[in-house]
Amino acid sequence: MLASMKAPFDSTLPFAVRTRGVGKGFGEGESRTEVLKEVDFSARLGELLMLVGPSGCGKTTLLSVIAGTLGADRGEVEVFGAPLHRLDKAAVTAFRAAHIGFIFQQYNLIPTLTCVENVSVPLRIQGHAAGPAERRAAAMLEQVGLGRRGHARPGTLSGGQQQRVAIARALVHEPRLIICDEPTAALDSENGAKVMDLLRGFAARPDRCVIIVTHDNRIFKYADRMTHMEDGRIDRTECAAASARRAEPAALVA
Amino acid sequence: MLDLSLKMLLGDRAKYIMLISGLTFASLLMTEQAAIFCGIMQWSGSTLDNVGAPVWVVDPMVEQINDTEAMRDTDLERVRSVEGVAWAAPFYQGMLRARMPDGSFKFVQLIGLDATTFAGAPREIVQGRLEDLRLPNTVILDEYGAKKLSRDPARPVRVGDTFEINDREARVVGICRSRMSFTGNPYVFSTYHQAVQYAPATRKVMSSVLVGGGEGADAAALARRITAATGLSAYTKSEFLWRTVWWYIRNTGIPVAFGATVMIGFVVGLAISSQTFYAFILENLRNLGAMKAMGAPDGMLARMIMLQTLTVGLIGYGCGVGLASLFGAVVLRKGMPPFFLPWQLPLITLAAVLFICWLAASLGIRKIRSLEPAIVFRG
Repeated sequence: MLASMKAPFDSTLPFAVRTRGVGKGFGEGESRTEVLKEVDFSARLGELLMLVGPSGCGKTTLLSVIAGTLGADRGEVEVFGAPLHRLDKAAVTAFRAAHIGFIFQQYNLIPTLTCVENVSVPLRIQGHAAGPAERRAAAMLEQVGLGRRGHARPGTLSGGQQQRVAIARALVHEPRLIICDEPTAALDSENGAKVMDLLRGFAARPDRCVIIVTHDNRIFKYADRMTHMEDGRIDRTECAAASARRAEPAALVA
Repeated sequence: MLDLSLKMLLGDRAKYIMLISGLTFASLLMTEQAAIFCGIMQWSGSTLDNVGAPVWVVDPMVEQINDTEAMRDTDLERVRSVEGVAWAAPFYQGMLRARMPDGSFKFVQLIGLDATTFAGAPREIVQGRLEDLRLPNTVILDEYGAKKLSRDPARPVRVGDTFEINDREARVVGICRSRMSFTGNPYVFSTYHQAVQYAPATRKVMSSVLVGGGEGADAAALARRITAATGLSAYTKSEFLWRTVWWYIRNTGIPVAFGATVMIGFVVGLAISSQTFYAFILENLRNLGAMKAMGAPDGMLARMIMLQTLTVGLIGYGCGVGLASLFGAVVLRKGMPPFFLPWQLPLITLAAVLFICWLAASLGIRKIRSLEPAIVFRG
């Protein structure tokens, strides 16, 4: 398994993502809730980092802020050195299109498009013509083991296959940052392992960074580092081995 | 991305068909009802078409062609004396009761033409000869009248048949083709002198004077000269037609009735299309949010939505106008109800459909603009 082949984490690698003093709240007046409270977070190139913590602790909000899909109220967000907090909306959108790949819990594949068409979407957003984009998409599907299902619609695939299509879509335009939101939550352990093997194999390269928000302790062993959040703050960041050791008994119980 | 937006639309068959059906219904109702209205308005001026005089001179009290206010016989000479008048002929029109050989009565639109010039005579005689109108007690009937005045549908009135108008014999010497009258009564053509014999005796009988200028004469200028010189009202055929149409628009409930139906078509099309398209957007909100997260700018998503609405709009418009045209082709063959589809009408319908598309797309685009791409991270 690829997870077992991972090298020890190198803390001298350059930063892929860095936030300083990020705050984000929702609502107005008395009903306002501060979800992120002065969050200092970092992820490095070549790293597969998992962001874990109890529900409502702010993981997804932090992920959205890092991805540039949600603006921070305060603080600094740098992705590959680009200050997202200073860029306007259009520039952040263009940055996302060029540098970030997304894998969602619900897959978010368009049901009326074929797998090839779904995978080609990031390339089409970047302005690639249909023909070349779909050829690259087909090649990417081949790499995730779904080369023969390119013309199938997502609804005809199993959950694991759909998530592999989503991985192909996240990687097809060769982004440097892969953002994953609970990528294995809807999958059984066998499919979850396949998805994580793919992520480790294709995503976690020296020039890339993978950030995964998850509750799924079955996949903790794939992480290089784990950042624990609690009540809108970073509680601790640790190498995965120690974290996985703590998680394993729970996994066995589950 | 635009091709993908069409695939997204076509993939949702139920909504796609619903959208097209709504817009087809709207286009059909708007075009068909407006065309029937135009047909009725066209029928209101049928006499002007069936009697093809360049200039019509009438009493100043006359407001439209179906309105008659008898003129003095001397008015004909006054008109003839106006400079530029090449010919002027007396004209009679009136609605009279015809008694058929089986004893039944039918109303007819009697037209009396100058026997010398036959100015304003029907252009297409399908049976008999126009010249035979110079024989005593003779008439030419239109095709519709030939059917309507006969009790036996298999045996329409023919040349040689007779009936009575005001107790006087009317022998059919010809059948002509003409546009149906506004009242739905058949046209019966005779000479002016014969017509005034058929008409009830009154002091004045001439309905109008038909006038022609020389070759290449400006009809409008001639009409102005006649009015200035005689104090009578003189109109070109086109002026009189529009005067008639506007009279019916102002003085009858016809435009309100048809306008209401056209409006219903528009509102129903708008409601169905906007609501269905908005539901389509809402159902695709997560996918659109995912595209937004992946870096699709608002402009790109707006273009995709515009293309989707334009596609269903143009297909719905094509189906609706096509069905309205088919309806028109069938009713024109039957002769009822009136139907006239001027080229402006499909353009107006197209503008209405495009407005519906624009509104439906605007609702979707507004939703997309306010959509936070972070929505895709919420379970």
